[in-house]
Amino acid sequence: MPSHPLRVAVVCSSNQNRSMEAHNILSKRGFDVRSFGTGSHVKLPGPSPDKPNVYDFKTTYEQMYNDLVRKDKELYTQNGILHMLDRNKRIKAKPERFQLCKDKFDLVITCEERVYDQVLEDLNSREQETLQPVHVINVDIQDNHEEATLGAFLICELCQCIQHTDDMENEIDELLQEFEDKSNRPFLHTVCFY
Amino acid sequence: MERPSKDGEPPAVIDVTTSEKVVELLNQAALIPADEKLTVLKQVQELIINKDPSLLDNFLDEIIAFQTDRSMEVRKFVIGFIEEACKRDNELLLRLIANLNLLLKDDSVNVVKKAILSLTQLYKVALQWLVRSRSVSEMQEACWDLVSQMTGDVLSMLDSENDGVRTHAIKFTESLIVTLSPRTPESDVPKRQEGDISLDKIPRDHPYIRYDALCDEGKAALDKLLKFMVHPAISSINLTTALGSLATIARQRPMFMSEVVQAYETLHANLPPTLAKSQVSSVRKNLKLHLVSVLKHPCSLEFQVQIGTLLLDLGMPQSEISRNTPLPREQRKRPRYEPAAEGKKVKMEPALIEDDEDKEEPVPLAAPKPAAAPTPQSAIDLTAEFLRPLLTSENVANLVLISMVYLPDVMPASFQATYTPVESAGTDAQIKHLARLMATQMTAAGIGPGLEQCKAREDESGKEEPAEDESGGKDVLIRRSLSSMVGQAISVVGGYSEKPPAPEAPAVKRLPEPILPSVQTKMAGAGGRKKVFRLADVVQPLSDSQIGSLSSRAVKRILHSEKAVTQSGMSHVRVKLLSRLVTQFEGVMKEDVLDYVLEDMRCRSDLAFSLLYQEYNSYLSQLPAGLLDGYDHCLYTLLSGLQEKPEQRDGLFTKLVLEAPIITESALDVIRRYCEDESRVYLGMTTLKELIVKRPSRQFQYLHVLLDLSSHEKEKVRSTALAFLKRMYEKDHLRDYIEKFALNYLQLLVHPNPPSLLFGADKDTEVAAPWTEETVRQCLFLYLSLLPLNHRLVHELASVYTEAIADIKRSVLRAIEQPIRGMGMNSPELLLLVENCPKGAETLVTRCLHILTDKVPPSPELVERVRDLYHKRVPDVRFLIPVINGLEKNEVIQALPKLIKLNPIVVKEVFNRLLGTQHSEGSSSVSPLTPGDLLIALHNIDSTKCDMKSIIKATNLCFGEKNVYTSEVLAVVMQQLMEQNPLPMLLMRTVIQSLTMYPRLGGFVMNILSRLIVKQVWKYPKVWEGFVKCCQRTKPQSYSVLLQLPPLQLASVFERCPEMRAPLLQHVLSFTPHQQAHIPNSVMAVLEAHKKLDPVPAEPVLEEELAEPTVAQQPGPGPEPGPALQQETVLLRDEEEPMEQEEAEPPTPETTDPIHQEEEPKAAEEPEPEPGQEPLEEPMEEPEAEPSDQPEPLTAPELEAAPPAAESGSEDPE
Repeated sequence: MPSHPLRVAVVCSSNQNRSMEAHNILSKRGFDVRSFGTGSHVKLPGPSPDKPNVYDFKTTYEQMYNDLVRKDKELYTQNGILHMLDRNKRIKAKPERFQLCKDKFDLVITCEERVYDQVLEDLNSREQETLQPVHVINVDIQDNHEEATLGAFLICELCQCIQHTDDMENEIDELLQEFEDKSNRPFLHTVCFY
Repeated sequence: MERPSKDGEPPAVIDVTTSEKVVELLNQAALIPADEKLTVLKQVQELIINKDPSLLDNFLDEIIAFQTDRSMEVRKFVIGFIEEACKRDNELLLRLIANLNLLLKDDSVNVVKKAILSLTQLYKVALQWLVRSRSVSEMQEACWDLVSQMTGDVLSMLDSENDGVRTHAIKFTESLIVTLSPRTPESDVPKRQEGDISLDKIPRDHPYIRYDALCDEGKAALDKLLKFMVHPAISSINLTTALGSLATIARQRPMFMSEVVQAYETLHANLPPTLAKSQVSSVRKNLKLHLVSVLKHPCSLEFQVQIGTLLLDLGMPQSEISRNTPLPREQRKRPRYEPAAEGKKVKMEPALIEDDEDKEEPVPLAAPKPAAAPTPQSAIDLTAEFLRPLLTSENVANLVLISMVYLPDVMPASFQATYTPVESAGTDAQIKHLARLMATQMTAAGIGPGLEQCKAREDESGKEEPAEDESGGKDVLIRRSLSSMVGQAISVVGGYSEKPPAPEAPAVKRLPEPILPSVQTKMAGAGGRKKVFRLADVVQPLSDSQIGSLSSRAVKRILHSEKAVTQSGMSHVRVKLLSRLVTQFEGVMKEDVLDYVLEDMRCRSDLAFSLLYQEYNSYLSQLPAGLLDGYDHCLYTLLSGLQEKPEQRDGLFTKLVLEAPIITESALDVIRRYCEDESRVYLGMTTLKELIVKRPSRQFQYLHVLLDLSSHEKEKVRSTALAFLKRMYEKDHLRDYIEKFALNYLQLLVHPNPPSLLFGADKDTEVAAPWTEETVRQCLFLYLSLLPLNHRLVHELASVYTEAIADIKRSVLRAIEQPIRGMGMNSPELLLLVENCPKGAETLVTRCLHILTDKVPPSPELVERVRDLYHKRVPDVRFLIPVINGLEKNEVIQALPKLIKLNPIVVKEVFNRLLGTQHSEGSSSVSPLTPGDLLIALHNIDSTKCDMKSIIKATNLCFGEKNVYTSEVLAVVMQQLMEQNPLPMLLMRTVIQSLTMYPRLGGFVMNILSRLIVKQVWKYPKVWEGFVKCCQRTKPQSYSVLLQLPPLQLASVFERCPEMRAPLLQHVLSFTPHQQAHIPNSVMAVLEAHKKLDPVPAEPVLEEELAEPTVAQQPGPGPEPGPALQQETVLLRDEEEPMEQEEAEPPTPETTDPIHQEEEPKAAEEPEPEPGQEPLEEPMEEPEAEPSDQPEPLTAPELEAAPPAAESGSEDPE
């Protein structure tokens, strides 16, 4: 679909790290991009693995930032959470939940298989109306800063390639195969309809 | 479609009327770029559709005019507008549907896709609109016809080349199926679609719309979709889409659930082989998702087992399956449904009802005991049941074994993804599952008892229900689904005759209408087409030979475009293209290209190299299983092509060899052949050398070739190879290998027969042929050329030599001259060899000694070693010969007796050395003995140590050397001998001989004779004999000497030679009386003793002439017997023999005429007796030679004249 910019959604679990990193890069590259989480809550690492910081999707990044600064500024500075939140709040106000968004996309990219399943479940549970297709692609990215950055670049490259195809639907299969070979990781891919 | 409402700002038209605003916007839109145009048009749409629909009609044409806009987005907008407009005002369909049809055939796939989406919506709109209007105008009819036609078009787009178009066509088909089938109470109905039309809302008495036609159309669409799904090359996205569509259909139209589940089963067991691994995972995920959504539907009860099994296979835990399985609550629902169904289904087509009921009705009945549900059995069910008891462990094992053969080499991605270890193997449930899996496959393949039964039933039912026949029989797949339906129908009739017949009977009566022909044909046409890969439709398959010839012609064209391509500067591309093509495709092309390259290798070497590397590359890419065959063939062809070309000389061969990534065996053979070509041997071996130096990993393999060539039959090849090897021998890492090879070859000489290795065969077996000079040399070439470089090797030769047979020994002795000379006599190793002289190698050592001293005098070290050897270990005098000039005088004299007993040739050699008469250039050797010394030494040999005969022969040798033994020398010798006391036995012989040689010595001899008288010569019988003979010979000179003898002795002379008396007397009588007075009377008495016996004084000459015959007849020791006779006498009488011989000698020399005459035949032979003494002697020698000289197998004829000493030495020690 070369005529209009791809409408892309990047989805991870909490709409904090992976999806936001990709959101950041994609929007800088001029994509019509939005980001989402599929979890029921927004979870951020806490002082120990069994004590995460849990917020609901209504909490803004700003609020989370302040909350964490208050709790343990040093810890959250050190593990990069504050930095991440700081970046996030400059992109948008608060995390969004994919299931609550009724906007339509051409391409949904998920960052792990569980998220992919949730997206598919959600899309399939919606009533079909216009039958407009939406391609869902899963790119597995580990949930840490480095992988998020690498993953974001991969997603960006993927989107650029898709954007440049003459006929996305006809070429995406092949394109993905190429990308699989190139990046040496498997992509799940399916199509759903609005 | 959504966005327009957002984009259009709330109409801020305050003063201007909407109409004016629209006009303004439209004018604007005509002039601005596409994206702005879109915004403007959306505003217009908002205005005329939502705000003031009354304007719609007015501006319709203006908007539609944009359908030819160049911008795809604008055209898509037009489609959206048409959809919205028609929804707003159905009547507009009449005007707009044709435009939509136009856009459906747009060039841009995106426009087409948008048109399909709109048609999906408008189809329902149109149908509803028609159903609503009870009277249908012609225009409406035409409009519907067009819609139907477009429907067909879109359905056939399932075969589009474009993946996206197919995806949209699938969704359209889904929607069509849902629309063209009745909604039932079990149907899931999405809220938004509640108002949508479906088959059940279509009145059966509609004037234009045919209920049954539509129903068939719906079912045909389903068939088409199902068939589409099983295409083996379906894309993953299409498959995903179809899976979703089927799930939607199953949920919204549960009557089709059976087909859907079955399709899922089939798919699960037969995932398309074209899918990549990740695609397989994606598809399985989808399948799972959709299965769950189907399972959740209350009507899934009947299929729970199948779905559950599938989900288990897909990896879903049982607990989750159970969670998603609805409770069987249909029982409550069912009664409520019954009346409603009664009411509605009156209008339904009978076949359809059957299908509906099949799925729905059994549910409540089956619910209590689902496992044994006596549902109508499909072909799959029947086959599965048939198979189940057959699946014994043994059968299964056999099946597994048989199918092993058919397994592909690589595990298909789909299998890899779907494989889960069978946990419940052998359990009843698992066997059942297996049976069902197999049944699915068999039915799909069109075999199995189930299918046959169904077919039989179908035939049966065909008679009862002819209508059914029409839709069946298009394709195996369709037949399958149909037949299963038919099967169910029959079981229903059989098993549940109470309920279903009620609706069925009236339905049959009510709707006998014919099927709409136009639709029917279209469907048939669409259904008969192949799926997805249209290429196969338009392209004729070529025969293999056609393909072959086309491709090879294509390659040839590229091949012969050389000049054109070069001019365009793209030859590297051509080269690359050719090499790739040819490497990928086997066959004649390869040969063609190689031939082409070889035609002009010089100019086409880049192609050759590219080809070679490409082949190698393809070998590498197939590692580790790859074969080098292709590469090997390529390299081999190129190299042998070059090898066979006569004129090529610019090093291309070398270049190719050195740049080839691997040298294969056959390539090495070519290199070898190249080296064997005499005109290229140097280049070839230089190449080989480069290989050895630059490819260390296989250097020994290459080296081996060079080594092999070192014993090549062609001299030039061999010598070049040897020269190269010598140079390489200096390299430490190669040295061992070369040396080992040389020694191995050397070692072959110990075999009694030459190993076949020498004849080019590989195996080291012996062949019966005897060793020849040639084969022996083959084993020696390399060794001997290394010898001067590494003297230590000489010991190996010695040890081999001792074991070798005589023939080989001889050959070896002949072959070693050069290298041994090269080593020189100062070589410590050689000296060591002499010192150690292994037993059996004596002849070898002797030969070495000879070679060394042939031209150079022996060094003191060598002499020392030999002397040592001679004295301490092997007392064979022959060792001494080579170094004889290095020995002390007394040593030589000591050895003389032994030396002269040797073979005459050897003796001659010894004398040559001693006398310095060798034919050597600078015989700077100073003999320890002067010639005179030698002759004297000979005379003084103790006759107990050596037989006289040998001594005589030895002295004869001396006399043979006239240049050395001049008269002066002889005079000195005679002088010295004469002064010895006692007189040497051979004295007089020597005197006579000297005199014979130098007659002018006569006076000197007289002097000697006189002095001998003083020494009372008569006391030495032998000498005395000689004395007499000498006098006899030297008469009349000797008369004065004779007269000096005492009378007794004079008488003894006359006794011996009576004929002397008369002349002597005559002589005395001729004296003056004064002189006669000096003759003692006693002497005169002796002279005159037998006067009367002199009747023939005048015939002394005559007498002499006849002397021999007469003498021969005499009884005494005949002075001159014939040679033959003489020999015999020699044998008989020992002591006298020397004299006899001596007597034989004199006749030969020229002096005595009578003898000359007498020996006429011989004289011819011996006019120059001095050098020719040997021949004379030989006959005499031979009889004796044997006893004295030991057997001599190595006689002269075998050993050439050159090494006579060695030859005699070679056997003697034994």
